[in-house]
Amino acid sequence: MIAVQAKRSHTIERIAVWVLRAAATFVIVAIAALILYLCFEGLKTFTVDRLPVWQFLFTSDFDPTAKKGGASIFIVGTIVVTLFALCIGGPFGIAVGAFLSEIAPPRMAGILKPAIEVLVGIPSVVYGWLGLRLLVPFLREHTSSASGFGLAAAGIVLSIMILPTVISLSEDAFRSLPGALREGSMALGSTRWQTIVRVLLPSASSGLSVALILGMARAIGETLAVQMVLGNATQFANGLFAPTAALTTEIVIDMPGATQGSFLEHELFSMALFLLLMAMALILLVRFVLRKRT
Amino acid sequence: MAVVATTAVSEPRIVADAGVRRRRFIDGLATVILWGLGASVILMLAAFVIYLFYLGASAISWQFLTGSPQETTAGGGIGPEIYNSFYILVLTLIFTVPIALAAGVYLQEYAKPGMFRTIVQFSAESLATVPSIVMGLFGLLVFVYYFHWGFSALGGAVTLTLLNLPALMRVTQEALSSVPDSLREASMGLGATRWQTIYRTVIPSAIGRMTTGIVLIAGRIFGETAALIFTAGLSVSANHPYELNPMRSAETLAIHLWYTHSESIVPDVDRIGNGSALVLLVMVLIFNVSARVAGRALTKRFTGRSS
Amino acid sequence: MIESPQQRVGTREKLVAKDVNIYYGSFQAIKHANLSIPENTVHALIGPSGCGKSTFLRALDRMHDLTPGARVEGEVLLDGANIYAQGADPVVIRHRIGMVFQRPNPFPKTIFENVVYGPKIHGERNHTRLQEICERSLRQAALWDEVKDRLNRSALDLSGGQQQRLCIARVLAVEPEVILMDEPASALDPIATSKIEDLIGELKEHYTVVIVTHSMQQAARISEFTAFFHLGEIVEVGTTNDIFTRPKEKRTEDYITGRFG
Repeated sequence: MIAVQAKRSHTIERIAVWVLRAAATFVIVAIAALILYLCFEGLKTFTVDRLPVWQFLFTSDFDPTAKKGGASIFIVGTIVVTLFALCIGGPFGIAVGAFLSEIAPPRMAGILKPAIEVLVGIPSVVYGWLGLRLLVPFLREHTSSASGFGLAAAGIVLSIMILPTVISLSEDAFRSLPGALREGSMALGSTRWQTIVRVLLPSASSGLSVALILGMARAIGETLAVQMVLGNATQFANGLFAPTAALTTEIVIDMPGATQGSFLEHELFSMALFLLLMAMALILLVRFVLRKRT
Repeated sequence: MAVVATTAVSEPRIVADAGVRRRRFIDGLATVILWGLGASVILMLAAFVIYLFYLGASAISWQFLTGSPQETTAGGGIGPEIYNSFYILVLTLIFTVPIALAAGVYLQEYAKPGMFRTIVQFSAESLATVPSIVMGLFGLLVFVYYFHWGFSALGGAVTLTLLNLPALMRVTQEALSSVPDSLREASMGLGATRWQTIYRTVIPSAIGRMTTGIVLIAGRIFGETAALIFTAGLSVSANHPYELNPMRSAETLAIHLWYTHSESIVPDVDRIGNGSALVLLVMVLIFNVSARVAGRALTKRFTGRSS
Repeated sequence: MIESPQQRVGTREKLVAKDVNIYYGSFQAIKHANLSIPENTVHALIGPSGCGKSTFLRALDRMHDLTPGARVEGEVLLDGANIYAQGADPVVIRHRIGMVFQRPNPFPKTIFENVVYGPKIHGERNHTRLQEICERSLRQAALWDEVKDRLNRSALDLSGGQQQRLCIARVLAVEPEVILMDEPASALDPIATSKIEDLIGELKEHYTVVIVTHSMQQAARISEFTAFFHLGEIVEVGTTNDIFTRPKEKRTEDYITGRFG
């Protein structure tokens, strides 16, 4: 009786493992297929349409009907909006991360952390809508911006969107520092702020770098919120408040109207491929930073 | 340096000199500023919530929540869009949960360190870095073009599955790793197979945390746009707005908000937008709160402890 | 420094604990502790593990301020001034009373940066003076010869014993008056331990040292005075010689002879 029971359990065990392993394999297949398909379609710009790669990357003449595929406006747009967001959201996020780790009493943390979780959950469109209703009119009234749409609006909205990521990763980075570090510093007669700035900040630098890099990765891929407030003018931003365009916004605007197989469609897929490569490069950077730490 | 101050009658005291006083001042100032930053995050959220309610409350009505959208006239509703949002959510979860759970269990409980395991983890991490719009384009390529499905809820759901697989895998792995090994040892020591151990002891212990993660991810799926624009489409069928067929175009509420803002020509764009934004926000809040509540309840039910 | 009246009289009491009670939440870890530590001596605190000696030591430089839930009652007088008085600044106190911990805890910085950290936070900016302070402190800690060529290398590359001597140098660099040591050699091998013990012997010339140790032999080797702790109370205090050869309390005698602990 026991032997039969045991045999059945083992068969179930084997089937279960097989199913589980199949699921794990699916993940590999998924990413492989994604990269392959994207490369295939995205490289058509250079293989089928014969656009030189340097032209795609470095010229700004973008006119798909005339087979002009310079995407540098969008590339620069993505980079600039991301940097803008990082300059605001980065320090802000690290400061709040330090606050949560070193200063905030449990009560405050008990309100702040759920608030951050809710902020993460707010959909991109709603952020865009808020930007539209709140930020754009404000910028229009109070700054040199003509319409309110532009780099600043997108940068500010984006900085709020990456804040939760930067905050929680920064907090983790600070918390993972051993308490002996704080004790050693305080025992030498430093104030808490001196301990944070002179000991904790440098010691957590790799974790904080990861927080910033992942914040950047999030910003690069953000589409809707940015598109709703960026202004979407196919030009380089000639001022902090000027409208411009980014890779994601360009894709989401022009793709619905692009016919399959057209120059424009290939071009947009090339932009998507470029985005993917940027995102992956950032992740590799994170791995590099983490490995260097040990 | 410090000074021990004395007077004729009172006892000596330890007194701070100018340098220390300055450092104390900076410390105090910095503390105040950091408190301010922390508080501003909370205030920001409060401001957003209040403003969205202020804008959208007047738009909410039974007619708005159940009626169909209009193409050119005022008075459109978001009923079918809400339906589609839930429809795609459920469909996505049907795919995502089993696969992510299975893969997560495999990675955490079975896989020995080695080539296969490294590749799977690397694949999951890579999948997580794909921006949602790129994933949407992938869905466009495969489901709309290659499979010739056109816009479909199913295509959208599968695309969203790929997008959320890594996150749910991570939730699963973390939930499983929070279960102490002593539980597994006890079970195996009684003669259970590995699978029986996982099925009967490990998963029930971890189920609270997993549910919290699933509900939170569901909230994210509900608000997803970029990946759905090119896969599930921008329209609802005029004649059959509430149907069960997955092979039709299915505009979700989140997409409707964007569409209303960018393309729509109805005169009451603002009203529809405000109302949609508010409904989306409320849904997110509901998901957020239920995630916690459900997680705690399930943990209590399955393990008898409160965490 | 203005001398307090007591000092001029010549009592040479550097650090005095008066009726100190320490609580962790509702648990009382130290009960009615009274102890007087003479200047320029090495004073050992011994007792079985868990008896509160480290807890008591940490109260001497207000390290319990950093522990939420910890409460210290009573007075601790540094040259007659109560460090727990209203308005007494812990930053000043910790400048005058330094602490070396059980496990070496160098900062993840260079050796040089570790040693001059204290002077820098107290406002010293002159690079030449910092270098002088660095050399002086490392010499006092008997570490100079071993690291003088690699001051710009990471402190984490040093061995355990070297790291601990670095931590001692770090404390010496702020020129404290009292040095508290919490089992400074317990994490080290015997050779490193004996180096630290030699060091402590030299330090007492200029500093007052209070050292917690779980090793009676160590206490006997390096200290002039000893206090025996048991279950949160100071059971007996006296010269090290007296404590180890003619203990007055039975509990002390039991501990010394190894009947428990």
